[in-house]
Amino acid sequence: MAVELTSKRYRVEDLDAVEFCFQQGWTDGLPVIPPTAERVEAMLAAARLDPKQEIAFITNRSVSITAEKVAINAVMAGCRPEYMGVVIAAVEGIGDPAWGYHGPGTSTGGAAVLMIVNGPIARQLDINSGDNLFGPGWRSSLTMGRALRLVMRNVCGSIPGLLDRGTLGHPGKISYVIAENEAESPWTPLHVERGFRPDQSTVTVMAAEGPHQFYNQLSPDAEGVLTTLADSMQHSGGAGRQPQYVVALAGEHMRTIAGSGWTKKEIRQFLFERTQNSLAHLKRTHRIPGEVQPGDESKMRPIVASPEDFLIVAAGGRAGSFSSFIPGWGSGNSSRATTKEVKR
Amino acid sequence: MEILDPTVEAATQPIAYVDRPGSLKGKRIGLIENTKYNSDKLLVKIGEILKKDYGASETRLFRKHNASVPAHEEIIVEVRKTCDVIVAGVGD
Repeated sequence: MAVELTSKRYRVEDLDAVEFCFQQGWTDGLPVIPPTAERVEAMLAAARLDPKQEIAFITNRSVSITAEKVAINAVMAGCRPEYMGVVIAAVEGIGDPAWGYHGPGTSTGGAAVLMIVNGPIARQLDINSGDNLFGPGWRSSLTMGRALRLVMRNVCGSIPGLLDRGTLGHPGKISYVIAENEAESPWTPLHVERGFRPDQSTVTVMAAEGPHQFYNQLSPDAEGVLTTLADSMQHSGGAGRQPQYVVALAGEHMRTIAGSGWTKKEIRQFLFERTQNSLAHLKRTHRIPGEVQPGDESKMRPIVASPEDFLIVAAGGRAGSFSSFIPGWGSGNSSRATTKEVKR
Repeated sequence: MEILDPTVEAATQPIAYVDRPGSLKGKRIGLIENTKYNSDKLLVKIGEILKKDYGASETRLFRKHNASVPAHEEIIVEVRKTCDVIVAGVGD
């Protein structure tokens, strides 16, 4: 395919190229792969994309994210060309008005973009769904999330300390990619719950805090494990603001909960009922404003607006009595998780 | 080695600003609050000062859907019809 790349070109000595990228302010603080035309063309060819094609438009920045810019940043992040389709779907996800780029791309709340990959592509590209789920070790997971973040930095202007004003941020802002362990999960995959077919591949993006781990080695059944989880979630960062949450249930807990015959729907309903706080508690702990009024002790506020705002994913290592939950950024009506098909 | 620029310039677009009024006397003030705690109280207070000390004729308070989005279309339409000057504020 003959392509015409229109980005500005810089000629640099081979040995200086990485340092040049640092000097230009193009990196996240780690070295990048120098984006040569040859590498960028390979990235576009793998996804069968014209460089001028618009992947997303970020309204508040008045920025068009073209395939060429995504490809350049994907090269820099260390992606292989076959990862491009997943990166493209993630860019579409953060460009969706429901995701609301301006908030998570800018806010002091310090959101990262959690990417959850479902469908056949996750296994084809060896995206991690198991041991060390949120940690290092998998090229595909680490570089895809980094590519998305470099697009946010270099194309959308979400530069830490400038337009990205996260007070704390967290390590997931470098890369934050997991897959659902569909091969071993007894449950309906996330993307099927969200309206796709099992044989479609998708990326779900959620503006997210870091993962919060919890521990339960004692319970032989679903209710026991989920009681610990609910107790941990009840007073978590988002309590009072009703964000969405991802719950990543790892191998041992997944088997224990499924052994009790519980579906994802039942897990969501249990969590919805068992994570509510009284208005009195939320006021006393200064999570919502106002003085405690008569009746506030018995008025309950759920931590999410609807049980559907718990996104349940089977993911994490086979061994270990740990799972995690991830509060979304802000409130559920300021940024919604979006799911896009990987088409290429 | 030749490498490509990963950044992009935001497309420039002209913004037409209305001239600032020389005085607020008799002007109708729109207050657009962003839903953050206390932003309404702060703006109402500002509105009172603009009436008392600067002779503004009236104030109207509008509420955005949430802090992260621009003012929605209904607010824009209503403001055009009923206000001469806008004060938008962030509260936290």
